[in-house]
Amino acid sequence: MIECKAVSKTYQIGDTVTEAVRNICFKAQVGEFVVILGHSGSGKSTLLSMIGGLTRPSGGQVAVAGEDIWQWSDNKRAKFRNQTIGFVFQFASLIPTLTVLDNIALPSLFGEGMTRAARLRARDLAGIVGLSDKIDSYPSEISGGQQRRVAISRAFLNDPRIVLADEPTGDLDEATEAQVMDVFTGMCRQHKTTILMVTHNRDLIKSADRTLVMKDGAIL
Amino acid sequence: MNLYHVALHEIGRRKTRTAYTASGVVISVALLVASIIVAVAGQKDIVLIINRYGHSLTIFPATSSETTLKGFGIGSGQYIPESALPAIREVYDSAIKSGWEARGGWVMEPGAPSGVALLQPATFAPRLYEETTISDRHAVVAGVDPEAEYKSRFWWEVETGKLVSRPDEVMAGSVFGKITGVNVGDRVEINGHPLKLVGVLRETDSPDDYMLFGILSAVQELFGKQGLISMINVRAMCNYCPIGDAEVALNKTVVGVRATSQRELALAQHEIFRNVTNVILGFVALSFLIACMAMFNMVMGTIHGRLREIGLFKVLGASRGQLMRLFIYEALMMGLLGGVAGYLLGYGMASRIAPWLIAGTDVEFSWWHPVLAILAAITCSILATLYPAFFASRMRAAEAFRAL
Repeated sequence: MIECKAVSKTYQIGDTVTEAVRNICFKAQVGEFVVILGHSGSGKSTLLSMIGGLTRPSGGQVAVAGEDIWQWSDNKRAKFRNQTIGFVFQFASLIPTLTVLDNIALPSLFGEGMTRAARLRARDLAGIVGLSDKIDSYPSEISGGQQRRVAISRAFLNDPRIVLADEPTGDLDEATEAQVMDVFTGMCRQHKTTILMVTHNRDLIKSADRTLVMKDGAIL
Repeated sequence: MNLYHVALHEIGRRKTRTAYTASGVVISVALLVASIIVAVAGQKDIVLIINRYGHSLTIFPATSSETTLKGFGIGSGQYIPESALPAIREVYDSAIKSGWEARGGWVMEPGAPSGVALLQPATFAPRLYEETTISDRHAVVAGVDPEAEYKSRFWWEVETGKLVSRPDEVMAGSVFGKITGVNVGDRVEINGHPLKLVGVLRETDSPDDYMLFGILSAVQELFGKQGLISMINVRAMCNYCPIGDAEVALNKTVVGVRATSQRELALAQHEIFRNVTNVILGFVALSFLIACMAMFNMVMGTIHGRLREIGLFKVLGASRGQLMRLFIYEALMMGLLGGVAGYLLGYGMASRIAPWLIAGTDVEFSWWHPVLAILAAITCSILATLYPAFFASRMRAAEAFRAL
C-alpha cells in the first residue's frame, strides 16, 4: 500500500545543511497499523508529511499503490489527500464556526461537495465515536477529548485507504488516550485502513501491528 | 454546506475585523453615492433653469454704465423705443431661420429629437421698469404686455386673484405683496392714480417677486414714458432654436441694444458644474484606490493570522482554486455589505448636502445608485483580495502542515 524507497529530506539554512530524514525504506500493507516511535526532532513528522504529499522529499520515492505521488501535479496530490488520506494532528484543528457535524463532513467540501450522503456518513461517524448527541454543538462547547474524536471522525469521512496520525494523543489524559486509541484500532480493523501513527509515547505500541523506531532521521 | 457558507461563517465570526476591513470601502462608496446623487440633483436643477430661461433672449438698451435697479439687474435708466420692435423682430427671425438652414434644418444638440424643427414665431415681451413709492416703500413697477408676458413667463402662477388684464389693474409679485401688506381688491396708488390690485403671483425665485405689474400702456402713461420700454424678453417658441445666432445678429445689427442669451449662461453654469463634479469624482476614485490598498493590507494580515485554517483546508485536500474561491467569496460578501452600508450612508449625506448646496433641491431615489454602489464596493473588495487569495492558494502544503 505504502512504500518508501530511500526517502530523504534535507533543509538548508544559510550554509548549514540539516538531514531531517535519511534514507528511509519501509512498506506498510493494507489494513496494517504501524506506529513510528521516536523522540522530538527524530524526523517522524517530516516523514509523515512526505507520505501525505505535503512535503517534497529531497531524494527517494514515496509510492502509494505503486505510484510515486511526487510525480503528480499539485491538484492531483490535493485530490489524493482528500480521497485517499485521512489526517489526524496533535491538536484537533477544528473550524470554530462550524458545528461538529460540519467539521466531520468538511473534507467532502473539497471533494464531491457536502452532499446529503456525506452528512449522513458524518452522522454515522459521530455515532461511532460516541458523539451522536453533540453533532449540533460547536467545538468550543465540547471537551478536548471530544474534539479529538471529531478530528478522528473527520479523517475517516471519505473512507480513506490510509490514515496518517501525528501525535494524536499528545496532550490527552490516560482515559481519553485509551478512547482515542480504541477508535483508531476499531476503524483500522473494521475498514482495513492502513494507519501510520507517529508518537513518542511507548504505551501506544501495544495497539500496533508493527513499530518502527526513528532516531536522527533514520529508522533503526 | 459549500464554500460560500464557510465564507459566510468566517465573516460572521470576525464581525469587528470585517467591519474594520470594509470601512474604507464603505466611506468611498458613500462619497461616490453622495457625489452622484448631488450631481444628478444639480444637473436636474440646471436643466430646469435651461428649460425655463434657456430659450430666451433679453434685450436691454446698450449702455456703457451697467447700473442696476436695486440690484435686480433689470435696467439702466435708458430706454428702447417701442417703434424699434418690428426691426428687432425681423433681425431675430432672420437669424433663427438662417441658423436652422446652416444646420440643414436638423437639430444639432445632443439629446434633442431628430427631425426638422418646427419654427413657430417667437414671443416678444416688452417691459417698462419705473421706480416709485407705494405705502412709503420704494417699489418697482413693471409695465407688461399681458398676452406676450404670460406666454413668455409660462411658469407664472397666481397665488390669489387673477392675472392683470386691464389698464386700471395691477398685480403684485409674491414678496411685494407680503412686505407691503396689500391684498387683492385693495387700491394701490401710483403717482396719484389709484389702481386695483387684482392678483398676487406665486413665488418664482426671481426679481419678479419684488415687483408690481401693470399694463404697459398704462404704466407708460403714469410715468410719462409713452412709446418707451426698458427691455424686451424674447422667448423662442422652439426648444432647440439657434438662439445664440440671434444674439450675435442682434448685437451686430441693431444699434443701441444689447442682447443676452440666458441659455449660454445656463450652459456655462452647466459646464462648470459638470467639471466640478468630474473633479470630485476624481477624488472619489482616489479614495477608492486608498480603500483598496488599505483593504489589501488588512486581508494580507488576515491571511497570516489564518495560516492554521488555510493549512487545514490544504491538508484536507482543498485545491488552489477552491482556496481562492473561498477568499473571493469573502470579498464578495464584504463588498456587498460595504456597498449597502456605503449606499445608505451616501444617501443620508446627499439628503443633507443637496438642499444646502442647491436651494430647494430634494434628492431622489434611483435604482441604479444602489446597484452602482454595490458593484463599486464588490469590485474594490475583489481587486484588494485577488493577490492575497492567490498568495494563500500558493502557500506550500508543508508550511500549512507545520501550522497545524
